[in-house]
Amino acid sequence: MNIEKLKEIVRTVLPSVDVVIGYKKGLDALHPVPCFVTSPDEIDALVLNPACTHNLAAYLPSLKKKTAVVVKGCESRTVVQLVQEGLIKRENVVVIGVPCQGVLSARKVLNAINHQPVVEAAFENDAVIVKTRKAETRLALNDVASDKCLTCQYPTPVLSDHLAGEQVESKVDEQAAYQDIRQFDAQSLEERRAYWLKEFDRCIRCYACRNACPMCVCRESCIAETRDPHWMSQKATLNEKMMFHMIHAIHLAGRCTECGECERACPMGIPVAKLKKKINMEMKELFGYEPGISIDDKPPMYTFKVEEEKIEEHKIR
Amino acid sequence: MRVGVFICHCGNNIAGTVDVARAAEETAKLPHVVYSTHYMYTCSEPGQDEIKQAIKRENLDRVVVAACSPRMHELTFRRTVEKAGLNRYFFEMANIREHISWIGENKELNTNKAIEAVRMAVEKVIRDKPLHSTAFKINKRVLVIGAGVAGMQSALDCADGGLDVVLVEKSPAIGGMMARLDKTFPTIDCSICILGPKMVDVAQHEHISLHAYSEIEEIKGYVGNYQVKVRKKTPYVDWTKCTGCGECMEKCPTKNAYDRFNFGVAPTRAINIPFPQAIPKKATIDAQYCRQIQKGKCGVCAKVCRANAINFELPDQFVTEEVGAIIVASGYGLIDQELLPEYGGGRYPDVITGIQYERLLNASGPTSGHIQRPSDGTEPKSIVFVSCAGSRDKSIGIPYCSNFCCMYIAKQAILTKDHIPDSQSYVFYMDIRATGKGYDEFTRRAQEDYGAKYIRGRVSRIYPKGKKMIVQGADTLLGAKVEVEADLVVLATAATAAPGAAALAEKLHISYDTHGFYVESHPKLRPVETNTAGVYLAGAAQGPKDIPASVGQGSAAAAKVLALFSRDMLESDPAIARVNQNACVGCLKCVKTCPFQAIKEQELRGGEVVASVIETICAGCGVCTSTCPCGAIQLQHFTDNQLLAEVNSLCLS
Amino acid sequence: MSVVEGKELRIVGFLCNWCSYGGADTAGVSRFKQPTDLRIIRVPCSGRVDPLFVVKALINGADGVLVSGCHPRDCHYSDGNYYARRRLEMLKRFLPFVGIDARRFHYTWVSASEGQRWQQTVTEFTTLIHELGPTPAFPQDQTVLKEVRA
Repeated sequence: MNIEKLKEIVRTVLPSVDVVIGYKKGLDALHPVPCFVTSPDEIDALVLNPACTHNLAAYLPSLKKKTAVVVKGCESRTVVQLVQEGLIKRENVVVIGVPCQGVLSARKVLNAINHQPVVEAAFENDAVIVKTRKAETRLALNDVASDKCLTCQYPTPVLSDHLAGEQVESKVDEQAAYQDIRQFDAQSLEERRAYWLKEFDRCIRCYACRNACPMCVCRESCIAETRDPHWMSQKATLNEKMMFHMIHAIHLAGRCTECGECERACPMGIPVAKLKKKINMEMKELFGYEPGISIDDKPPMYTFKVEEEKIEEHKIR
Repeated sequence: MRVGVFICHCGNNIAGTVDVARAAEETAKLPHVVYSTHYMYTCSEPGQDEIKQAIKRENLDRVVVAACSPRMHELTFRRTVEKAGLNRYFFEMANIREHISWIGENKELNTNKAIEAVRMAVEKVIRDKPLHSTAFKINKRVLVIGAGVAGMQSALDCADGGLDVVLVEKSPAIGGMMARLDKTFPTIDCSICILGPKMVDVAQHEHISLHAYSEIEEIKGYVGNYQVKVRKKTPYVDWTKCTGCGECMEKCPTKNAYDRFNFGVAPTRAINIPFPQAIPKKATIDAQYCRQIQKGKCGVCAKVCRANAINFELPDQFVTEEVGAIIVASGYGLIDQELLPEYGGGRYPDVITGIQYERLLNASGPTSGHIQRPSDGTEPKSIVFVSCAGSRDKSIGIPYCSNFCCMYIAKQAILTKDHIPDSQSYVFYMDIRATGKGYDEFTRRAQEDYGAKYIRGRVSRIYPKGKKMIVQGADTLLGAKVEVEADLVVLATAATAAPGAAALAEKLHISYDTHGFYVESHPKLRPVETNTAGVYLAGAAQGPKDIPASVGQGSAAAAKVLALFSRDMLESDPAIARVNQNACVGCLKCVKTCPFQAIKEQELRGGEVVASVIETICAGCGVCTSTCPCGAIQLQHFTDNQLLAEVNSLCLS
Repeated sequence: MSVVEGKELRIVGFLCNWCSYGGADTAGVSRFKQPTDLRIIRVPCSGRVDPLFVVKALINGADGVLVSGCHPRDCHYSDGNYYARRRLEMLKRFLPFVGIDARRFHYTWVSASEGQRWQQTVTEFTTLIHELGPTPAFPQDQTVLKEVRA
């Protein structure tokens, strides 16, 4: 993550676009916020560090402007997926790629420092030093990184017009990409059920996960809230909460780029990204497909093969 | 909402195992239901009148009939409610016969199930929206696939009725199986003598255009407006120039080509005209045997052809025909002898099939009508006919009867005696199936007047012994083993679906049974219709049948098309997809998944892109509705809310 | 019937109009006896079956869900069942992840002529669901929720 290189790129790109979306300092050092640069004097406000977690590609479908966007590996997949689905036009986007070693989970950092107000944070290659009024804590990046980063296969953007930094190789081999899901799958059916009942029970149906999701493009037409069709009531019962999360997960089948925004946005800390990752794992096994890798792919749920190599007819028992 | 529920007894069919009175009583308590009754036969005229009167009397605005399958009577009752002034889509059926009374034995459970079926139907009906058909123009041309006797009959009847007919035949000549037969039962008419004039009529009819040696490549469209791509296979002969003189055939040096017309009874030439009466009378090169095509050396036919018609470079050609209806008369096939190893599996030259024997009997066949043993050309004196050679044999997957074998065996036994007066025929049979007009008398004549010996039992084994074939079997009437020394054995091989029948069905979107025969819309009441509007069946493609039945179906299918085309406009099914453009986010995933390309992109005045359904193309499958993430495109009459209401009525309660 | 009479479980079937609904009709016309638990929802095509209908049923108390369409290559609408196959396969693999027994959801292909196959399918599936017993409910009232939260 090279901020000087990034600023240089933004300076060259800015004249040819309406807006550049990057990050600037937020309320504290752990919470940078999106920043919309439209004139050169705003460039110096840009920041770039492992606390920059927002998926800025989420803004693209609603912006009717020529836009340059700063993306890390997973977020570049979002751009690819949006283009692939025709939700944005490739020629309207300039992709500024940022190779990434992993981003912070603000929740993990705050847990580590007992939720003390953060005064300052400094970033090293594999660590973050957090200063509070009382102490200075050095945390290994691996310990406080977002869960998604622990199995990340695409630390370098898969698509970029400009790259701010050197390529980064994935630290996790391909076999291990879904190890967390396989571990979860190894539990008994009852354990899995109990786990999710407990998790979904905390859901307050605030829809933050959906609102943060860059691939949720239905906006006010989301069937979790419409009356026509009327898929679910507004009751805060467990079955309705679960139904909502099933809708979100299934609507993302073959589309989720694993940016983890749903999970990051959840105020209740429900691991909702896990649901989508499970489906992604199955999509890869069934169709050899990963969302957001190639613009020319077709999402597997919107196409078919007459002979499906991997789908066998099921017996009832 | 004022819903009326009408529960049908269907005589005892429903009332026998469903307590219809209790069902009516319980369903009367359902929300929105203001009237519930039960009736002996709801589909009868008084039954329908009862519905109409109740609509008026009770001021009903929705109707549920609990009776048989909607596949049976949905249309009937839609018309009934329409006559009483309701929109015809304000109606739902609960299937309490096929899905309940006929399959469950416990009356209490059946009754509960029937009540729930009605409850689901009520939940759906109160969400029905009024739908209205739109009219569209029909293209009054008809495609007939297959020019055997059934297809020719359809083509001629349609053409005589003034319709333009496109007739497609995959062989180089029309006539099908009937053109190969010697005589026909039970009249002993000469087959080609009665078929020949029909073939000429087909060829000369001003309303029939024939594509011989052609196959269906692709079918698009819907009833009234089909686009059919026809592949005209190359005969390597320019048929516009070929005069059918036959000189090429005489001079062709390849004398061992397989004779498809004669089922390999004798070899033919690589370039040939299949039979003397062939229509069109044009030569075709069998590329598999042609030395010029295979090895690049020969070209004798090209040298002798005075019309200069031979063209080894001629490619397949494609034509697209636009039609409004399709009659499928693609005929049948015969099983391979290899499936019958106990009968030699095709290894013994003197064990032949019924159709091959037909060619031996035929005056225009390879032996000019002289019955000769394929092995040595001598005249057989002892001939054994084996019926059910493959038919009614579950072990090879053919449990059905091939319908016409019993009759043609009797015919062949009679003809054999005519040809060789000192011969003796033996017929091994399982049952004699001779149910047609004059058929039973005919099989008796074979036995009583022509001395054919009928042995009731199956043949277990056939093997050669010297120059003879030994046929071992059982006589189940005597309870004894039988052994017959035969000079020639004729197997009545089972009829199967035509080769390629399944692939053609897939192009037509019609269904076929496990044996590949096409499935009619209703086995009794809609025998020539399919479940695909505008596609009709004729002849043995639907199941093995003899000539009179095939001709009858050919005419029936033609009558259906003539009736369809008697109007200028057709009414579209309004149960199609509709877009709520306010909810559509323009992701256009529906455009990607629609199997019919019936959804297009539309730009609204504000510049927003939304999906839009092309009404005449939408077939109403609902793939788009289950693709759309925001429920903006809804299949009418099967909307998300309707299906959810059904699910909820079953699960939440 | 092998299935306990008088104690039905809740089985929901989504059947395409052209093949499987017809197959169920054929079974009825042939008087092929079947367990009575299944309730049939008629849809034009298996491609109309949004996997979320299955989820909705399973979450809200269905003990089993059966989806049946035309055999591949035989879809009345050419391709509907191919989409259904992908969507339903995805669902079948996903359900156990959230603790729903995948055996409670079965999808298959039955043609209009296959009355016997339909009878077998219904009988086998119903028998299996009875072996699995009622689906564990999703607690909706507060007392049960306390157990979850404990």
